[in-house]
Parts: sequence; C-alpha cells; structure tokens
Amino acid sequence: MSGEIRRYARLWARTASMSMQAQLTYRLGSAGFLIGKVVRLVFFFAFVAAVFDHVQTVAGYTLLETALFFLTFNIVDMIAQVFFRGVYNARRTVNEGDFDFYLIQPCSPLLRMVCSSVDALDVITLFPVLAMTAVVLHRLPPLGFARGVLYAALTLNAVALVFAVHVAVAALTVRTQELENAIWIYRDVMFMGRFPVDVYAAPVRWALTFGVPIAVMTSFPAKAFLGLLSPAWIAYAFALSAAALAASLAYWRASVARYTSSSS
Amino acid sequence: MKKYLTAYSIALQETLQRRWTLLMDRVGGFAVVLSLYSFWNVLLGDKATFLGYTRPEMLTYVLIINVLRSFVFTGRGWLLVGEISSGRVSSYLVRPLRYEGYALALDLAQKTVHVGSAFLEIGLLVLIVRGGVFVPRDPAAWALFALAAAMASLIFFFLEFAVSTLAFWTSESGGPLFCFELFLQFAAGAFFPLDVLPEGLRRLLSATPFPYMVYFPARVLLQKIPPQEAVRMLAGESAWLAAAAAVAAAAWNRGLLSYAAEGG
Repeated sequence: MSGEIRRYARLWARTASMSMQAQLTYRLGSAGFLIGKVVRLVFFFAFVAAVFDHVQTVAGYTLLETALFFLTFNIVDMIAQVFFRGVYNARRTVNEGDFDFYLIQPCSPLLRMVCSSVDALDVITLFPVLAMTAVVLHRLPPLGFARGVLYAALTLNAVALVFAVHVAVAALTVRTQELENAIWIYRDVMFMGRFPVDVYAAPVRWALTFGVPIAVMTSFPAKAFLGLLSPAWIAYAFALSAAALAASLAYWRASVARYTSSSS
Repeated sequence: MKKYLTAYSIALQETLQRRWTLLMDRVGGFAVVLSLYSFWNVLLGDKATFLGYTRPEMLTYVLIINVLRSFVFTGRGWLLVGEISSGRVSSYLVRPLRYEGYALALDLAQKTVHVGSAFLEIGLLVLIVRGGVFVPRDPAAWALFALAAAMASLIFFFLEFAVSTLAFWTSESGGPLFCFELFLQFAAGAFFPLDVLPEGLRRLLSATPFPYMVYFPARVLLQKIPPQEAVRMLAGESAWLAAAAAVAAAAWNRGLLSYAAEGG
C-alpha cells in the first residue's frame, strides 16, 4: 500500500513538474494570468475592507472573522486548482482520444485525468493566502489549539468534497463527452462561498448546506474555528464528504465501465 | 449590411441551439447576482440607506449589474485569440467582409440571448426578494441608460478586440486578456458600486473608461446623476468609444501587417 502511494506521489510529482515547466515557458501569458489572479484577490480584499469602513459587522461577523471566511474560501479553491486542474481539460482528453491511452497505462486513469495537471500560478498565489490566513488566525482572540486542529481538519474535508465534485464532473465527461461547462458552473456557484453562508436567506442557506454544499466547503471550517459549529454539524460535514466521495467514485467506475472510446 | 445580418441570424440560432451551455452560463451568472444581493441586503440591515443607496436602489443596482454583465461583458475575445493563434482567421480575411463587423454581429447575437435571459432572471429575483425595486418614472432616464449601456458595450467590444489582437505578435495573449477582463469587471463596478471605494481610488478610476461600463449606466438608471450631468458624461463616454474604436482598428491593421499563415 505504501509502495503504491509512493509510486503515485512520484508519478504526480513528475507530471506536475512537466505541466509547471510548460506553463512557465509562456512568461507573458503566465504573468497575465498571475496578475489577474492577484488583482481578483486584492480587489475583493479592498472591497471587504472598504465595506468595514462603513459598518461594524456583516451578518454578525467582524472584519477579521469575515476575512477568515474569505481566506478559507480561497484556500479551498486554490488547492482544488492546484491539484484537480486536469478536469478542466477532461472533455478534450476524452474527445481527442488521450483517455484511451490513460486506460492502458499502469496507473489509475482517474488520477491521470484529474490530478496530472498543476496550475503553477495558483501555487504561487496560495502562499500569500496561507500567510494572510495565519496572520488573521493569530490576530483573532486566542481560541485554543483544538479549534485550530478542527479548522485544519474541516478545510481538508472541504478539499475532499471539492475532489468529489471534480470526480463527478470527470465521470460525466467520460459518460457524455459533453457538458464542457459543468466545471464552470461549479466555479460560478462557488462564488457564493466568498461570503459567510449566514448572509443568505434561509432557503438559500439550506440549499448551500444540503443541496450544493458550498457552505460545507467554505463556511464550516471558519465557523468551527470561531466556535459556531455544533458537533452535529461537524459530523454532518465529514459524513457528507465520505458519502460524496463514495458516490462520485462509484459513478466514475460506472462511467469508465460504459466507455467505448470516442476517438483515436 | 445584409451579410452581417445573416451572420447575426446564424449566430443567434447557434447560441439558442446550445441550450445546456446557455443554461449553465445563466445559472452561474444568477449565483453571482444572488450572492451580491444577499451581501448588500445584510449590509443594509435595518438601515434606511447605505452609501447613499436605499434598499430598492441597491437591489436595482444588483439587478442592473446582471443585465449589464450580460450586455457589456459578453465578448468574443478568447475566440479571436484562438482564431489568430491557430490561423483560422485566414479564412475570414479572404472573404468579402470586414472581420470587425462580422465579430460584432456574432457578439450582438450572443448579447441578445444573454440579455433576454438576464431579464427573465431579474423577473424571478424581483418576485423572491423583499424591499421592492427602483423603477425610474422619467422616460429620459431610460433613454439615457439605453444609450450609456449601448456605448459601454461597444467600448468593451473594441477594448477586448484590441487586447485580443496581441495574438498577432505572441501566442501568449491569453494571459493579458484574462488580466484585462478581471481588472475591468472590478474597475467597472460589476461586483459592487464604486462608491464603496476610497475617494482617491475612485478619482483614479474616473479618469479611465472603465466606470462607464457598469457604474455610470446603473447610476443613470437610478437617477443618481442629474440629466444635464448625465448628458455631459455621455459625451465623455462617446469620446472613450471613439478612442477605443481607433485603438482597436490600429491594432488590427498593424497586426495584419505582421500576420503570416501557411497551409490551408
């Protein structure tokens, strides 16, 4: 088992290195994308900070607490971009026949499709976000080590949930060879995770917790850190991720079993 | 003119034919509007006004953002980059049409569908949100808004066109285009009214064409700008439009001089 993990870690490091080198070869393009990502981050921060010039709290949260929600959203989103970027090319991979090659290679086609492409620019922007999160966590009143561990665990749980979404989209692409926008709809809906889930009306909050669980991905870790999440909700978050992972992997296996090659 | 109308008609049919893509695009846009509305709604709380906007005015601003994002920011820049980089643009150069006109016809077709959808979404939002919307009684406000929005759309078209023509000189023009589009959306007020920004930054932005794209038309509709001042600003917007068109034409012509294609 550990040998298998080492083998996949080596494989991921190799493919990630190649994809990062390819990306960094295009300096002007990469600089544009990098500046764009930084602009988006800075403008949202400026917006949130400017709003707090006019109000004391938003939905009961102070500036630092709101910043924690926003930063948590960015951490989860960027980690997904770094590790699961391959899904964005899933349709091309299937339509151009590359998926057939993945199937005959001695490794998991799922990991090849989902994880073999790494966005180096998100790796670069992730570090300042992590640093800012550390500063925010440090500046909040001391809430205890256990809360920090819970925050980290729920953030990892959120990444697992995002992984499940990406696997489901990859499976959908293998099955239908269409729905190129499926991953983009996820990206757009994720926009709602930039703000604490408490800003939304009750029906929307319900939908974001049980329907499209953006709240579990982005709001739950910060709420747990602030001591606003009951043990029942914490258990729900972990159970949801486990169920979503199991369901998406089963769907992936079923899609691959029905796959009859669409090109090559 | 007839050939551009035919291009418009065919593009309109194509856009309507790709129903899933359209539906997903709109669901994503709706999620953005819903989150912005919810955020502003929480900020307003029990206050009569926030940043000089009453609740109906702020709700109307958010709804207008939805229309203007569909009408102004729906462009063909990425397609143009792809067409130049792959050489497909050659096939247009040998046809008896002007590429700019052809691109504008396709752009208008896309905008027609998206604006229609945006109005449907607005109808839905108006039904489910509380607080009502601001409907200007003065027909002049509607006329000035329509004029401002039409010019904003053209300014975006020409600016995006100019940035996309970078593809004539480099295969990495996607990065600058990405950066440009992101910056533009924030600087135009497509996420939040620019009133929230510090005075200095607002003054800086007012020296660019960006606020004319969303912030200005939205404020005209909300009757936040006196008619005489609005007419004066429309003159400024038309000057920016002329400048953007000139830059786009110059970039296209210079790009064509350096363009070379082989094969067929």
